[in-house]
Amino acid sequence: MSDAVRRPVPKPDVYVSTKPFWEGAQARRLVLQFCKDTNRFQHFPRPVSIYTGSRNLEWREVSGKGQVYACTIVRVLGPGVEGRLPLSVVTVELDEGVRMIANIIGSDPEEVKIGHRVALAWDQLDGDILYPAFKLA
Amino acid sequence: MSARSNIVIAGYSETKVVFRSGRSAYDFAGEAFASLLEHTGVAKDEVDGLSVTLALSEASNPFFTVYMADALGLTPRWLNAGAIGGCSATGGVARAASAIRDGMCRIAVVLSSDAPSTAWRSNYGAYRSEFQDPPGVQGPPATFGLLMSRYKHQYGLSSEALGKIAITQRQHALTNVNALDKFKKPLTMDEYMNSRIIADPLRILDCVMFCDGANAFLVMSEEDALTRGLKMVRPKAYAEVTNYAGSESCPDITESGFWMIAPELYRKAGLGPEDIKMFQPYDDFTIAVLMQMEAFGFCGRGQGSRYVLDTDLSYQGMLPLNTGGGQISAGQPGLASGGLNLAEAVRQMFGEAGARQVQDPRTALVTGIGVIPYGRNWGTSAAMILEA
Repeated sequence: MSDAVRRPVPKPDVYVSTKPFWEGAQARRLVLQFCKDTNRFQHFPRPVSIYTGSRNLEWREVSGKGQVYACTIVRVLGPGVEGRLPLSVVTVELDEGVRMIANIIGSDPEEVKIGHRVALAWDQLDGDILYPAFKLA
Repeated sequence: MSARSNIVIAGYSETKVVFRSGRSAYDFAGEAFASLLEHTGVAKDEVDGLSVTLALSEASNPFFTVYMADALGLTPRWLNAGAIGGCSATGGVARAASAIRDGMCRIAVVLSSDAPSTAWRSNYGAYRSEFQDPPGVQGPPATFGLLMSRYKHQYGLSSEALGKIAITQRQHALTNVNALDKFKKPLTMDEYMNSRIIADPLRILDCVMFCDGANAFLVMSEEDALTRGLKMVRPKAYAEVTNYAGSESCPDITESGFWMIAPELYRKAGLGPEDIKMFQPYDDFTIAVLMQMEAFGFCGRGQGSRYVLDTDLSYQGMLPLNTGGGQISAGQPGLASGGLNLAEAVRQMFGEAGARQVQDPRTALVTGIGVIPYGRNWGTSAAMILEA
């Protein structure tokens, strides 16, 4: 990644408490919100469980293994994508039964197809802050 | 006739759609409002109900609706903030009808005005900076690229079908005096196919362009409309749903809220897809039009491409589609967008569509779509069946 590329680091804990996600990421662990009543993950993080409405939530590590549920290639400039085009953007369905929007790194975006198995990879925001991404498995 | 059908839309107005007009949502609203009063003969002080669609260009003001009432010199006894984006026009009419039935007001104006191509004062906040911006999903195109990819994977998707939607709507825009000037030229399939792909498989010509503009609707009892000698259409049925499948982590994103509300809408109206004389669906992207054709039963699930290719969608055809050009070809006046499709339906049913007049405009299906959520399809789905 060139020095000219700017990938701003968002502030955690502004919307809901997200510190576990960010601390996990810096240790190369993908940590997502988990509903303890239903034993199910949810992402993006919410102020309550989307399954029950309770706040009986915690953060748990996921395997980072999953498959591509939907994929696109972003080809237009916008904040945070300078120097990254064409950019592979996918919805990954993790084996734990939760989806997240992420980038596939390390492959030609044209190679990425729905159904491909993926594994966790780590991308960098400004200041070497790690951010989860995926690579083709 | 059921007691619920006695509220009508007794007038509409619409400004021209303009790109970077340099004007505010208030100014456009004033233009639409003054025009509505002028051609319906309703006096300003008779308006005692007001629904105002929240505008991207004024979203930093939580009192936008009150400021709007003040700007227009209105003293509403019923005031509603239309906060469901492109569903706020049909949703506003439905809510105004309820308010009139409950005696909260007698004559309501449903007003949508926005100028995001001049001023953008919105910040969606929430999860976006941490979870949507870093992977490069800044706006609707990437999300719709994802949605289209999934639809294509499950059912197959013909670029020619999407092109035909864009071309048909562009043809309709040519005779719409309110359509954006830039779109007043025919579109060819070659131009569509060669247009830039911005988020595969989404092309630039599958998308709307943010513009400025406004529209307004007059809602009152049928009795009042008759007394005043006004033209009218009846909102025969309305249904909406927000955050469909909202308690699921892995829903089928090719299934929108329209799949939930379409059967209810037809049941309430006592009509079926075969009774719909024109389809004025919310058209932020061509795929949304195609997916709605399936949800509303004009064809089977996953059969949208075939149906579009086999069907005359022109104003003279089997299913006249967005006969004013829709947002894709008239321009999207920000969150006043939903009123654009509704205004065209009312215009057609009033017999005022001129060169693109649908021959038998007795019924219309108008829809709205509001907000693009995280990795799904859309946030609010709303639909209204109008009857002349």
